[in-house]
Amino acid sequence: MAVSETVAAVQPAATPTQPKPGRKRRGRNAAYWLYLLPGAVLFILVIGAPLVGTLYLSLTKWSGIGDPRWVGLDNYQQLLHDDVFWASFRNTVWMLVAMVVVPTLLGLLLAAVLFDVIGRRFKPRTAAALRAAFYLPQVLPVVVAGIVWGWILRPDGAFNSLLDAVGLGALRHDWLGDPDTALPAVMAVMIWVQIGYPVVVFMAALQRVDPELYEAAEVDGANWVHRFRAITLPQIRPETFVVALTCTIAALKVFGPIFALTRGGPENATNVPSYFAYYTFFKKLQVGYGSAISTVLTLIIVVVAVLFIWMQARSERRDRGF
Amino acid sequence: MQRFRRLVAALALAATATTTVAACGGGDNGDDSGAKTLKLWHYESETSAMGVGWNRAIEIFKTEHPGVEVRFERKAFEQIQQNAGMIINSSEGPDIMEYNKGNATAGLLSSQGLLSDLSAEADKRGWAGKLSPSLQTTARYSDKGVMGSGKWFGVPNYGEYVTVYYNKDLFERNGVKVPTTMADMTAAMDTFVGKGITPLGMAGAEYPAGQLFYQLALSKADRQFVDNYQLYKNPVDFKADPLKYGAATFADWVKKGYVAKDSASLKAEDMGTAFIGGKVPMIVSGSWWYGRFKTEMKANWDTFLFPGNTLQAGSSGNLWVVPENSKAKSLAYDFIDITLRPEIQDLIGNNGGVPVAADASKISDPKDRKLIEDFNTVSKSDGLAFYPDWPVPGYYDVLVGGFQGLINGSKSPDQVLDSIAKPYADGVKEITGK
Repeated sequence: MAVSETVAAVQPAATPTQPKPGRKRRGRNAAYWLYLLPGAVLFILVIGAPLVGTLYLSLTKWSGIGDPRWVGLDNYQQLLHDDVFWASFRNTVWMLVAMVVVPTLLGLLLAAVLFDVIGRRFKPRTAAALRAAFYLPQVLPVVVAGIVWGWILRPDGAFNSLLDAVGLGALRHDWLGDPDTALPAVMAVMIWVQIGYPVVVFMAALQRVDPELYEAAEVDGANWVHRFRAITLPQIRPETFVVALTCTIAALKVFGPIFALTRGGPENATNVPSYFAYYTFFKKLQVGYGSAISTVLTLIIVVVAVLFIWMQARSERRDRGF
Repeated sequence: MQRFRRLVAALALAATATTTVAACGGGDNGDDSGAKTLKLWHYESETSAMGVGWNRAIEIFKTEHPGVEVRFERKAFEQIQQNAGMIINSSEGPDIMEYNKGNATAGLLSSQGLLSDLSAEADKRGWAGKLSPSLQTTARYSDKGVMGSGKWFGVPNYGEYVTVYYNKDLFERNGVKVPTTMADMTAAMDTFVGKGITPLGMAGAEYPAGQLFYQLALSKADRQFVDNYQLYKNPVDFKADPLKYGAATFADWVKKGYVAKDSASLKAEDMGTAFIGGKVPMIVSGSWWYGRFKTEMKANWDTFLFPGNTLQAGSSGNLWVVPENSKAKSLAYDFIDITLRPEIQDLIGNNGGVPVAADASKISDPKDRKLIEDFNTVSKSDGLAFYPDWPVPGYYDVLVGGFQGLINGSKSPDQVLDSIAKPYADGVKEITGK
């Protein structure tokens, strides 16, 4: 018997004065919308209106003062032929490696080791302390971290002194000043900044995995690698999606560390779209062109986010078997 | 009797109305002599030469304008730099404000009608006579906002220029004489290199590299070049001297070790602290360092003009501007006038600044006096050539990127000149429409 039939059998017949169930549900739904209203208003004010404004400005030529002049898609056409714009997106691919790929993989491994090895062999407090240590860079304001790393990596900074101290003085280098080493140096800093976030999320995820699964696997003779592949990875897949999505968005719009460390230099070697948009907008006073860069960046982030959410939903459906 | 009273009342009313109407009529011309408040914003620190001078100017203003309240707010440079357009366009802005000189700043705002035309006041109050032609360049802007000619939209009352700071102790210890010609300069640098000392402090990530390049270029330049480059009077060929000489010599100086090859990522602050710490014997930089070195440096030091140059990077300091929306324009003009008086000018000079209209003999410290005399020499001979990044908005970062390439050796002088020529041409086209 269908559930609806059972409910109908139990409930008394509706009288003409009582509202129909459908109408009641609609009324209840309307009440839900009231709760969403403040959020919707804020969304329109803080995100929607600026977004529409930026889109409009991207179709104009404007120095920030006076009236914008409508130029249609000119700014977008100019973008297609702008070498710096494409260079900034090439650098973004490397930032994705530094802020998504490496931290997610490394974070997964570290979380598994902390949870499954350190947590079992030592006191749980040891694992918690190490987790906090990995997370520390996330607590630091990113500009402060950038400035400190700038000091470390400067020609007479701590890193070069360390190289001297261990007899590798020949490797001394202007790490952030040379176009060949600036991007790898920035990537290394970003890995350091990012690593704590996946470690914390994955460790929290591992705590909800049924310990019996691991025990059963151990009884069956599965070693750590087998357990990691067969239990850990599939069990924390939802968190992996969340980490990958949030880190991808962070990598696409990264600005603070670039501003603090290199200002996109040397010779655009570390330029990224958000810094390029800022520079065009505020330094070159090309507000329309800067808005076009921001619009393209927003569009890419939205597409990537939708793609991730769709993939996650599909993965969940597959797990549930429908 | 009653009729008489009515007549007196009517006459009084008419007289009041006439006065009021006259006052209103004057309002259109900015006659706001009845204003009781002057809102004043600037971004100089309290202890800087200008900060000290202007604090005193505010005191004098208050004495001379009893009943007028001065509402002073100290702002951050960046705050004004990025928001001036919006601030001035609103009714909440100041009546008088310190603002950045140049086409992309004061020029842009003036072209949009946001700044008051000060031409009549400049003539009436004699400001024009106190400022040399090269200082007036940054005060006057055309209808398109290009500096150098047209109406007065700002008034500077201090100056700045690029000079060579040297560590006297290091010079003496290494037997190096103070250079007076470029040949002396290179000989001095060779001596330091021979002793394992990098002679010139540098900071490739900020303005110092561009300014050294410009100083080198100016050694082969004349006023016509400066007018072409800064005021767009004629097209500029980046592949010819003086710019070609500037880039090639800069690269040569890096190759010879006069400039450190690993200085591309350093900032101006790093260069300044290296000089203060006695790590480098010379830096080529602006007079804005002067007060700081005077306070913080333990070693003996002094300055000399970049040898052999008749043109030097430099200009007026930033400007006093009066927003078009100002409700106290007359008071603002009075304040500007006070800052140009000898008392305030001398005060700026005696605190390590470079006044534009000071009597050098009134400056007590010989080193301060020399700084001002050097500036007066350059200014009076029409030798201020402005700064290399001024011509177009955003050019600062273009130059930084280009000269980082030369310091790293990743680009040839020709490639660097190509990389800075296109943004220049694009920017000039944007401004002039040509």
